[in-house]
Amino acid sequence: MLWKLAWRNLWRNRMRTWLSALVIAIGLVALIFLDTMMVGMNTNMVKNATDSLMGHAQMHALGFRDEHEVNLTINNLDESLVQLREHPDLTFLSQRVLTQAMLSSSGGGEPVFTLGIDPAEEQLLSKFDEAIIEGEYLDSVSANKMILGWKVAEKLELVLGDRLVLTAVDAESSEMAQVLFRLSGIFKTGEEQMDGSMVLVPRQTLQKMLKLEGRIHQIALRYKNLTQEGIPLRPLTKPAESSGNELLLWTELMPSLYMITQMTDLSMAIMGIILFLIIALGVTNTLLMGLYERMFEFGIIKSIGTTPWQSARLMLYEAVCLGFLSIVVGLILAVFVIAIFAFYGIDYTGIEFSGVTFQEKIYPSFKWERLVIYPFLSMGFTLLAAVYPAFKLWYMLPIEALRKRKL
Amino acid sequence: MAEIVIKTKNLDKSFGSGETEIHALRDVNLEIMRGDFAAIVGPSGSGKTTLLNILCGLDTVSSGEIQVSGRSLQSMSGSELAKFRREHIGLVFQAYNLIPVLTVLENIEYVMLLQNVPSAERKERVRKFLTEVGLEGKENRFPAELSGGQQQRVAIARAMVSHPDIILADEPTANLDSATGAQLLEMMRRFNEELNMTFVFSTHDPQIMERSKRMVTLTDGRIVSDELK
Ligand SMILES: Nc1ncnc2c1ncn2[C@@H]1O[C@H](COP(=O)(O)OP(=O)(O)OP(=O)(O)O)[C@@H](O)[C@H]1O
Ligand SMILES: [Mg+2]
Repeated sequence: MLWKLAWRNLWRNRMRTWLSALVIAIGLVALIFLDTMMVGMNTNMVKNATDSLMGHAQMHALGFRDEHEVNLTINNLDESLVQLREHPDLTFLSQRVLTQAMLSSSGGGEPVFTLGIDPAEEQLLSKFDEAIIEGEYLDSVSANKMILGWKVAEKLELVLGDRLVLTAVDAESSEMAQVLFRLSGIFKTGEEQMDGSMVLVPRQTLQKMLKLEGRIHQIALRYKNLTQEGIPLRPLTKPAESSGNELLLWTELMPSLYMITQMTDLSMAIMGIILFLIIALGVTNTLLMGLYERMFEFGIIKSIGTTPWQSARLMLYEAVCLGFLSIVVGLILAVFVIAIFAFYGIDYTGIEFSGVTFQEKIYPSFKWERLVIYPFLSMGFTLLAAVYPAFKLWYMLPIEALRKRKL
Repeated sequence: MAEIVIKTKNLDKSFGSGETEIHALRDVNLEIMRGDFAAIVGPSGSGKTTLLNILCGLDTVSSGEIQVSGRSLQSMSGSELAKFRREHIGLVFQAYNLIPVLTVLENIEYVMLLQNVPSAERKERVRKFLTEVGLEGKENRFPAELSGGQQQRVAIARAMVSHPDIILADEPTANLDSATGAQLLEMMRRFNEELNMTFVFSTHDPQIMERSKRMVTLTDGRIVSDELK
């Protein structure tokens, strides 16, 4: 009976009820939408970062990451590779040799970051082949081909086919080693660092040049079966400290990116609470207005034997009904809004944010648990909004209420 | 000797304090017996409403004692009072007695629902009293679709349906024309005689006073006369 009464009371002032419901619903839509976009953006950022050079995880010799010391190559390489390849969730890996070098052409010199790779292996991991804008990607036959970022090409005024000399310090004697390459392709990744200073050459050529036969600096790898946040479900066990190697997930390789994805959760929570607090105040106001308008009636209801607690429940139930209405309206609206953005997306391509450049449009992305939490949150706050009116109704003496309408 | 339903002793009630103090009731000693059909009369401001409010526990006394159905009202909490009224007292106000969003049937059912009366019995009792007040067939109307007299009848049916010890009515006919008011009073009188229901009501209307069996006259908050007819 109290439920029935509460539900009918809700419809006393249709306009007001719809308006309140709409306000709560819009709050709900805003949160759900923002959340899906944030999740979408995070997913996008993580994907961009891990789809490129970095991969999902990397293995190095301990200390290599500090200064890229040429001598610090992965220990027990064969054993490590066997272990990595055994893992069921590992899809691709790429073995790399890395070094700082000087690239000189007839037009001048430029410091570059050189990556020695196996073309076939690397292709699967970082998709440099897709970033080629001129010429072609490396192949496994030609040992002296080189590809580089379009900004390097511009600085040195290079054209395809140019001869280039790479100079670097070798690992054994610390003497300068030089090798002649021929420019076979130019790539554009959209990422400043790669486009402006990166050079790719066949791994074996670089190994020979640096006197690093059979040794490598880095293994980048990709997993399958990742969570929506890009965390592998079954990560590889980390090598023991005594092995002299380290295996780091992207969250450790790019802690700033990981922190941003973590922070969005917190900021969404704060935003949600602030938004709903504001809405709750509005709802409290509406409920109070309804309470004052029907004061006499509540006086009757209380004087014919409704206990204070039952009267308070009447107000709470009314809020629950309003909450339900709002959630239904809100979820319907949310589906529409998200459907629209899922279709069109938001175009942030080319904008760099915390070291990652957006390569694709951002589309909303769901986290189901959130879609459940937000309606509960809005219901919770609607109830919270009803607490004060319910208390008023609880404490209100029927005699006072009856006096509100002098007959 | 008839059973006492209400007994008051030296009731005093004042509103405000100091300069603006209003003494609404002074030294009221009143006994209402089962089967009474008592009118409380007196000029405007004489304390009729105040007295009725105190008798049902809606208002508190300044001093004195009051017992309804053998229980003292002063010591009860708000929740106990609500339950007490629900079980023992039927209330009828001057107008707007009904909950506008509930139908006639639901209005009458309301108190029984709070009392957890089983559904079959509820329906049975609603039907019985709707017939008694002559509104059979109108159970699904909303209050706004009824005339003022019909609304007051529903209010009386609602007050009667939980079998209270007494029905207190503050000017139940004041908003009705005199013919309708007289009819309503006739009906109350019939319930009084046929079902031995105890009624205490206030009124200004001499025609209505005529139909009472007992008349308590208040002046300036004092009982100045209490006559049986
Ligand atoms: N809440 C209140 N605060 C202050 N004074 C009050 C209050 N209620 C009633 N009074 C005063 O108490 C006195 C008795 O009022 P009451 O309403 O009981 O009279 P009444 O006999 O019912 O009058 P009426 O016939 O006009 O309904 C009046 O002087 C009134 O002004
Ligand atoms: Mg009065």
